[in-house]
Amino acid sequence: MLVGVLLAPAVVLPLWVSLYDREDPTLAGIPFFYWFQILLIFVAVGLTVPAYLLSRDAERADRVRHGLPSEPAGTGGEED
Amino acid sequence: MLDHVNGIAFGVFLFLFLLVTVLGFAAARWRRAASLDNLDEWGLGGRGFGTFIAWFLIGGDLYTAYTFVAVPAALYAGSVIGFFAIPYSIVAYPLVFIFLPRLWSVSHRHGYVTPADFVQGRYDSRVLALAVALTGILATMPYIALQLVGMQVVLQVMGIGTSSDSWFVNDLPLFIAFGVLAAYTYSSGMRAPALIAFVKDTLIYVVILVAVFYIPHQVGGWEHVFSTVSDSFTSFNAENADAIATGAAAPKGTIPPPAAQWAYASLALGSALALFMYPHSITGVLATRNRSVIRRNAALLPAYSLLLGLLALLGFVAIAAGVKVENPQQSLPQLFEDQFAPWFAGVAFAAIVIGALVPAAIMSIAAANLWTRNVYKAFINRDATHAEEANQSKLVSLLVKFGALVFVLALSKNLAINLQLLGGVWILQTLPAIVIGLYTRWLHRWAVLAGWAAGMAWGTWLAYGVASPTQKHFGGPLVFLPGTETKVYIALLAFGLNLVVAVVATVVLRAMNVAEGVDQTRPQDYHADLGDPGVEARLDPEAPAHA
Repeated sequence: MLVGVLLAPAVVLPLWVSLYDREDPTLAGIPFFYWFQILLIFVAVGLTVPAYLLSRDAERADRVRHGLPSEPAGTGGEED
Repeated sequence: MLDHVNGIAFGVFLFLFLLVTVLGFAAARWRRAASLDNLDEWGLGGRGFGTFIAWFLIGGDLYTAYTFVAVPAALYAGSVIGFFAIPYSIVAYPLVFIFLPRLWSVSHRHGYVTPADFVQGRYDSRVLALAVALTGILATMPYIALQLVGMQVVLQVMGIGTSSDSWFVNDLPLFIAFGVLAAYTYSSGMRAPALIAFVKDTLIYVVILVAVFYIPHQVGGWEHVFSTVSDSFTSFNAENADAIATGAAAPKGTIPPPAAQWAYASLALGSALALFMYPHSITGVLATRNRSVIRRNAALLPAYSLLLGLLALLGFVAIAAGVKVENPQQSLPQLFEDQFAPWFAGVAFAAIVIGALVPAAIMSIAAANLWTRNVYKAFINRDATHAEEANQSKLVSLLVKFGALVFVLALSKNLAINLQLLGGVWILQTLPAIVIGLYTRWLHRWAVLAGWAAGMAWGTWLAYGVASPTQKHFGGPLVFLPGTETKVYIALLAFGLNLVVAVVATVVLRAMNVAEGVDQTRPQDYHADLGDPGVEARLDPEAPAHA
């Protein structure tokens, strides 16, 4: 749930075109339209990282709710 | 065949191409499995790729050479709406984060290789699975063809095979490149693109970062770039005012006009929803080791979006740098040739061409898996052994590539582009079967099929009716939202109809008590992870992780 709330801006902001469809303010000569969308990439990553950390707890709860042990028994965990 | 070719650029290019060829064949021995004679190994690389490899593999798979050529080309041509690729690639990852781990889990628990396998297991309908599989194959074929188009423009700019009158000599380099690709995909399967993706992505990152920091500076800075572009578009619009008024030419601009905002947003949303319905994306995801890999990658893959955004702006830089090409798709390679020292231009060309090989390989593997599992095994040879499946897939991967080659060489390139556009419309129609199916069995299997058919038919019909200044049909991805003056992406409209039909038909079929089939999956299957029963690691954990 909280994960969805965290990720929502990463979906809504890029689709809200009237918000950023303008020339000014420019950044180093680049119109707002371009640099704002590139900035949104960083915003989305900034939201996805905490969403990932939160999702691990949610995951454990989900597993228990569905009759699985809270951690997989076998070779999970470390990866390459 | 090789006049006007810069020897140094060509030498560097050839060296890098040979390097990935060797890698492609050597990949069969990488993370070695007991046998490659089954689809888990050949078609999914042993389902064992961790975060690091998956980042290269999926990044190399989604951000194709054609994208790298076409997005800057759109900006070069003054069609700023092409920049929707950026919001599209931002929106896609949160969606991935939410639903793909479920698909991963259920696929591993039940040994599903393709999205249509899941549909079959979930809805107990070979026909619905066939519809999903054929849509996937149909949407993937022109996508492979476009990778060839991407390679072709680079070869043309390099001057390879463009000056001869014989089509055979002209296209020979393309034949060779694709033949080599087909051979190592055949022998190494998914391991080949996974290993080559390291080289491809490293080259692409180096080339684009150098290009973005070096070239704009060379041509006078971003301020100068945008004022030059602005002047050039303004004068184009003034000179062609009559043609623009009659619709014979499209106005150019550096930011979208307010009227195009919905078009921009709907293209971004529709494409983002469609992205992970494509068989090659799902194949890349199913090749990962555990549930977390895909979530971590949702935070890591946007690095490629950043690259694409910067690259797109090079379309404007090309205008400011005075690049004049008939075919806008040549603008980026031409800019590289004009601005870089020959050896680095060779690296840049190799980056794009190798960039075409990785997705082409994965796409052909994904299409071949769909054929094998959901047509061959489901209808033709129901008792196929694992080895027979792998053989069938290997052969079909060759056929698919050959088909794409014939497509581009014998038919028109425009047809490939039109079909790829349709492919986006089509593939989105499989979303209810796959994504909604991941959460609920409420939709009736025949209702999902009816919705799919309605969406396919209406989407195709709408696309057929779109005229552009250069063609009468399939002229673009946008139509007016019925009853309004606002243009939106066809795929989303068709998807809307698809959903409505699926819901209404479900209510009707329920009321009529039509059999729903037996769901093979259980709720806990959607949460299973590596180490749970039925989700064992297929690789020896002691095997070296990196080549």
